Amino acid sequence: MHPRLPTDLALVMVGRAALALERNAHASGVRLSLDLERVLSSGMLSWPGADLSKIDQHDHNRITEDGAEAVALTLGHRHRAWRVIRRMQREEHADWLLEDSRENVRQVVALEISGVDRGGILARLSEKLAQVAKSTDVDQRWAGVVGFEEPAAALHFTKRQHRGN
Amino acid sequence: METDALNTLVSGAIWRADQLETHGIRPASQAWAEVSSLEEELAKALPVSESEGRIARRGAVRAALKAGDYDRAHALADGYLAEEAGPRSLKTALRKILEEDAQAMASRFPYASKNHSLREAQVLARRFREAGAFGLAA
Repeated sequence: MHPRLPTDLALVMVGRAALALERNAHASGVRLSLDLERVLSSGMLSWPGADLSKIDQHDHNRITEDGAEAVALTLGHRHRAWRVIRRMQREEHADWLLEDSRENVRQVVALEISGVDRGGILARLSEKLAQVAKSTDVDQRWAGVVGFEEPAAALHFTKRQHRGN
Repeated sequence: METDALNTLVSGAIWRADQLETHGIRPASQAWAEVSSLEEELAKALPVSESEGRIARRGAVRAALKAGDYDRAHALADGYLAEEAGPRSLKTALRKILEEDAQAMASRFPYASKNHSLREAQVLARRFREAGAFGLAA
């Protein structure tokens, strides 16, 4: 799916996704509400079981954020066939640089991801779209937000925000 | 080394540095030094005409600043600014990265920035970061 994603990092992200879902009392095979480019649908999310007795070894917010990255990167590949190129430093206004090689034209994608442990995801999605709109040197700008209370994920694109004088 | 391998390494390095920084762990500056080295290798492998080459150049300079290695940050920036093929947007971004860091330094160390040159303030900041504010000569 993402051959350039370091294996150790992928394992941590998947493990934290499992913790984020299970601490919200979900079990593998849960229904996931999807909002992909403003088209609503649903899917089923499965994961290897987590050991909740060890959850205190992880930072609470990192469980939410890293877990969201695991779900959003999976969704980006399933929905758009994206593959990870590399992680970005936060000043680039996105978490990941990906490539979209459909239609024989390689495009570079900036993807900013965030997770919400409790509550809805739309407000966070607006914030993240505004953030990734500032990203430069990319062909596409996207934000992905994953909610864990009622499992939901959204993946939207935005245009570049040009800086005024 | 192939760019795919470098991209994988830089992803892991940025992730580790972010995690250390989140927890306020001191070796974060060493982690950012590793990021800067990998970004520099990517910048060597990728031409400035490619978007990933420009991202790597900005990344190399930024990570050097986060590591507190101001000499390296300025040397890298000077090299990238001298690239004839470099677009104006990249050069503007590199200058902005250095300026913003200098401003952040001035607000973090107002006394030092008022009474010393930027270079001296950077040396002091690095010394404080590495050894603490109170040095004791043996």
